Order: sequence, then C-alpha cells, then structure tokens
Amino acid sequence: MATNGQKRTATVRIQRFNPDVDKKPYIKEYQIQMRQGMTLLDALHEIKTQQDGSVTYRRSCRHAICGSCAMSVNGRNMLVCEQPLKEHVDSQGRVTIKPLPFLPIIKDLVVDRSSFWEQYQRVKPWLMPPDDLPDKEFRVSPEEIKAMHDAEKCIMCGACYSACQVVAMNKQYIGPHALLKAFLRTLDPRDATPAERLDIVSDPNGVWRCHTIFNCIDACPKNLDPTFAIETLRNLAARRLAFEEERRERQKTLDQPVKGA
Amino acid sequence: MRFFKLQRYTAIALVAFMALHMIVVHYPPGHLDFSRVVDRLGNPVWKVIDIAFLGTVLLHALLGLYDAIIDWDKVTPFRRVLAGALIVIGLVAFAYGAYTVISFSPAALAALR
Amino acid sequence: MFKTTGFISFILRRFTGVVLALYLLLHIWVIGAATQGAEAFNRRMEAVSTPVFHILEILLLAAVIYHAFDGIRLLIINNFRVTDKRKSMWYAAFAIAALLTVVGGLPILFYVLGINF
Repeated sequence: MATNGQKRTATVRIQRFNPDVDKKPYIKEYQIQMRQGMTLLDALHEIKTQQDGSVTYRRSCRHAICGSCAMSVNGRNMLVCEQPLKEHVDSQGRVTIKPLPFLPIIKDLVVDRSSFWEQYQRVKPWLMPPDDLPDKEFRVSPEEIKAMHDAEKCIMCGACYSACQVVAMNKQYIGPHALLKAFLRTLDPRDATPAERLDIVSDPNGVWRCHTIFNCIDACPKNLDPTFAIETLRNLAARRLAFEEERRERQKTLDQPVKGA
Repeated sequence: MRFFKLQRYTAIALVAFMALHMIVVHYPPGHLDFSRVVDRLGNPVWKVIDIAFLGTVLLHALLGLYDAIIDWDKVTPFRRVLAGALIVIGLVAFAYGAYTVISFSPAALAALR
Repeated sequence: MFKTTGFISFILRRFTGVVLALYLLLHIWVIGAATQGAEAFNRRMEAVSTPVFHILEILLLAAVIYHAFDGIRLLIINNFRVTDKRKSMWYAAFAIAALLTVVGGLPILFYVLGINF
C-alpha cells in the first residue's frame, strides 16, 4: 500500500457571497495541505478554522446521515462529509465547491431550502394509518418492504431536488425528494389513504413533470431511485381507485403473520 | 393526465410509421412529383395508412408541444387556453391533411395530362 | 449538474421535438398543394426541391432519428430495470442515430451532388 510520500497542496475554490456586502457571488481560492483521509468537509473546516472564519456552510453529523452538507463539487451535487478530497482534485490539485444550484443563496455555501420543504409538506409525508388499529403490531411482508426500494433511506439532503432541471425551470414542480417520499407512503401497506396521495401527485406539476433526466439518481448519496418511484406513481395514478380497494383488503389482515415474516 | 400514456403509445406506433414512411416515400431519393406519389397513394389502403399515420403523428407532436410549454411555470394559469388552442390546431391540421391524402387520385393526375 | 448525459439527452430530445412539431405543421401545408390539383402540387414540389432544401432534409433526418432513438431508449428504461445502464444506453442510442443519419443522408447527398449542375 503506497503511502503519501510528498505532501500535496490542494487549491480549494469556494464560491463566496455575502448579500450584505457583495453584489454577486465570486470564487475565492484557498491552499491547504492534503492530509491522509481528508474529506471535503475536513478541508472546509481547515479553511474556516485556520484561514478564513467567515466561510459559511451547513454541516452536522459528518457521516452522511443528517443531510446538511449537500453542495455542488466540480459541478455535481454530493455530501461533502463523505467525499475524500483527493478524489475530487484535478491534476493541478484544484477542486471547486459551490452551493446547491437553482436555489437562492443565503450566504456562501448555504442555500434557502424553503421551496424544498414546501413541496415536501405538500405530499403529506407522514403515515396515515387506518381508523381501526390492530391490537398488536402491523405485520408487513418482506416483499412489501422490497417494493419500497429503500426509499426510507432518504436523508432529505436536497441533492436530488437541486440537481433536477425541471425544478430549475419550475419551482412548482413537486420534486424528486417529495415524490420519493410520496411513493414510500403510497406503497406502505399500513397507510390508509393511497388514493388521496395519488391525487396529490397527479397534479400537473407532480409526476407528469418528470422528464426522466436522471440527475436525481446521479446526485443521490444513498443511491436511491426517485425516477423509478415517479414511474411507479404514474402507473398507480392510472388505477388509483382500484389500488385503494386493494389496500383496504390488505388492511383487513394487517395484524396477521405473513409468509416469510 | 392520461396524455402521458397516449404519448408513449403514439411514440411506439410512430417508430413503425416513420420507418415505413421514410422507406416507401423517400427512398431512393429522387424528384417527387404527383404521379410518383399517386402510384402509391392512389391505392385506398395506402390512403388509410397515411391518414392513420397523420393522426398519430399530430397527436404525438401536439402532446409533446403541450408538455414542453407547460414546463415553463409562467404558463400554468393559461393551461386550458393552450390545450384548447393546440386541439384546434390539431383538428384543422388533421382535416386538411386527410383531405390532401384523398386528393391524390388518378383522376386528378388525368386532369394534368 | 449540467454536463450529465441525462441533461444533454433531454435538451436534444426537446429541441428536436419542438423543431419536428413545427416542421410537421409546415409539411402538412406544403403537401396540401395537392388539394389544388396535380399541377399546383408539382410546382410546389419544384420549389422545395432545391439543393438547399435537400441539405435541410438531411438535418431533418438527423433530428427525427435522434428523437426516435432517444425515445426508444427512454421506453426501454421506463419498462425494464436498466437504470444503471442509462448512460451507456444514451451513447449507444446516439451512435446508432448518427450511423443511421449517415446511411440515410448519404443517398440524399449523392443525389444532390449528382443532379446538381
């Protein structure tokens, strides 16, 4: 295993913008020593603590679960806490970090995520259980879980939403993040309102605005598939009443053991 | 928005129609005049195929235009007007196109000579 | 996120689609000369058969073929779980479209050059 012999210098180019002072965003370059195992977030910390305390960015858990640190690195959206610095510098050691695109900038690398959260609220992203709850727990089969394609792993980081060209053109588009959540809840056997959910996403600014550009899949740090979710919702929207009927039937046996469970 | 499924189905049909159209009409490339067209379109079977092709392609094109225009969020309040306008354009184009296909008759060719 | 193949595919698909839709309406109008008889039709066909128009025809062919193959790629991706191959599928679709455009465009080009005085 080769060790880092010669210490390399990285040039981190950060987009800065202070609306109180600057007319428009500009790039500022910082030089740092690349250390073994340094992530992009480590680089930002180093710059903020050692060189320029005014650099502003969001971060929290630093292990890809809180979703705070999504940014645009060399033109692609990603979580900076889990990305090694050395994988993103070019042959001259440069890397460019900008805030998530298409969203208003609050300061430096921090963007205004209001439209992201509004669209999320719009799909009612909470479980709506049936009125008659079972005495014991809900029993859901492994197949039913598999059908949800890991959608519950979404950490609401905003990388997909901000990568989507449709969002760029149309802020009323519900967005891949919310549609993925809607998909999760619609397919959940414990949810009693799939027809209502399908109505919400069948809005002209809902599933029909997706043009299968796939930027969302490219951007997702958890390798989720909003496009598949949207496609499934489209198919279900075509038979929403039948689907709700199926759900009602399923919920009659929700407290009974399922095969393989 | 069942327009969406319709868009997909017309797309599949168009792959076949377009391939047919290109091969039958445009190859080998040469001067296209009335008699060359009538050789084919004089036959009522071709007339039916071409009119079906016309309807399918107009549907796909106008659905596609609608889809593209309403992506722009400023248009959202005028969605119905846009749809109405495109439907009118589609019907007029279809009627005119179908009438054109029917006009390719051997009798009309005879009138030329 | 602009330089993704997904974005390029979308932009080209939309651009060719809009161009083709507008061309369609024009085409219906041009061929509509037949409603006024064979003579009128032949005159109009002469007018749109100049070498410039033939070159435009080749561009039109490129637009149709690209739009069709990118569309077919989408239909495949939407109905079969091959999302992970979407980029290579775009390159394949683009390559096939380019090849077919050349195969289809060359006869037109030769026709233009051959008959051109």
